[in-house]
Amino acid sequence: MAKRRYVRVEPPTPTPRALDDFAELPEGRLAVLGDDELIDYLRAARSAGRQEAMKPALAILVFGYWDILVSRARLRLPESDVEDVAAEAAASAIASAFDGRSVGELRSWMHTILSRRIADYYEARTRRPQTTPLASEHGGVDEVWGAEPAEPFEGDALFASECLGQAYDELEDERHRRTIDLYVYGPLSATATAAEVGGGMTEANVHQVASRFQRRFRELMDDD
Amino acid sequence: MTDVERLLAEYKEAHRADGAPADPRPYLARASGPDRAALGALIDAYLARAPRRSFDAARFRDSAAAPMAESLQRALSGSGGLWPALLPRLRNQARLRRAELVSELAARLGAQSQTEKVAAYYHQMEQGLLPATGVSDTVLEALGRIIGYSREALRRAGELPAPGAGAGPEPGAVFARTRRADSEPAEPAPEAAERHWDAVDRLFRGG
Repeated sequence: MAKRRYVRVEPPTPTPRALDDFAELPEGRLAVLGDDELIDYLRAARSAGRQEAMKPALAILVFGYWDILVSRARLRLPESDVEDVAAEAAASAIASAFDGRSVGELRSWMHTILSRRIADYYEARTRRPQTTPLASEHGGVDEVWGAEPAEPFEGDALFASECLGQAYDELEDERHRRTIDLYVYGPLSATATAAEVGGGMTEANVHQVASRFQRRFRELMDDD
Repeated sequence: MTDVERLLAEYKEAHRADGAPADPRPYLARASGPDRAALGALIDAYLARAPRRSFDAARFRDSAAAPMAESLQRALSGSGGLWPALLPRLRNQARLRRAELVSELAARLGAQSQTEKVAAYYHQMEQGLLPATGVSDTVLEALGRIIGYSREALRRAGELPAPGAGAGPEPGAVFARTRRADSEPAEPAPEAAERHWDAVDRLFRGG
């Protein structure tokens, strides 16, 4: 009867550790830090070899963006691939903070990577034959994978996003951009947006700017 | 207010009420044609600007974010880049059990008689215990064909984050399991063992 034994595997290259420079923070303190501060904390924990201390900071970052990434992916991908693509985007974005590249704001970088991964997904499907059969190929008998995806055709979705981007880029007044950011793309009401933008902006102005923006967006879509 | 604007407002309200973004598909299903594409673009832009969700430990524990964060922690602690976060997902996506993948990998590497050794190395790759730089292109090519991922992309994932940037193990170190007969001599030190590498060792550790 063979027995299991354990042999040491080559450890990663050891590096100098700044053990004295790292102070572990409780979850409550970490939860109120911004993304950049959390990344700095993670870098410090990793440099100090304190892998366990990285856990709460990673939990806060991943939890904070996970549902957002998954929801965005659901707009474009079949459900069976949503979490995989979202996970890869989250992992790549957070890991990028450790490879010396300057990626700017983590949130933007994460969404940029997700968009790329979605584009890669469709590109890969055009390059190689689909190997996973859809439920319909089972003559409706096999319901193992449930209903087929109902996501909009990627080309239409991409075109609509481009039109939206163009409509936004055409806004020349910085206050109008701010209005769209807060009211259309953001969570604020028209009243709160007017107060936030200031400079004489009224609730009626907010509705007007938003309507004009939406109308221009649809014109660009209709021009196709 | 147009239907699209109304649906976007409903979507944002659902997000505000729950604290987490709602599944956008039921909202998209209530629109059709160009309206549907327009609504999708607006929700997409809204989500891309959404702030980080406040941390909720209980909801985190029950969410798919928990295993994701754990695999990322393993990745940042190990020497295999993002493989701990990526490989198990790709394997699941390919609907393969680990034993099935290993068997296929061993066959593609011409190492059917050393499936157990291939299994040990693959386990180390998934756990982030095997330095990515040592894993040959031959292995990555074979693995990529099985799990539907390119060799280049696997290589890139293995190199992220940069190995050695403080990735030293915590006390207790890292151990991999091997199976040995009772009568076999004790495992030699790594330096000595390197001289006795066989073809499989070289494939997974020789670069």
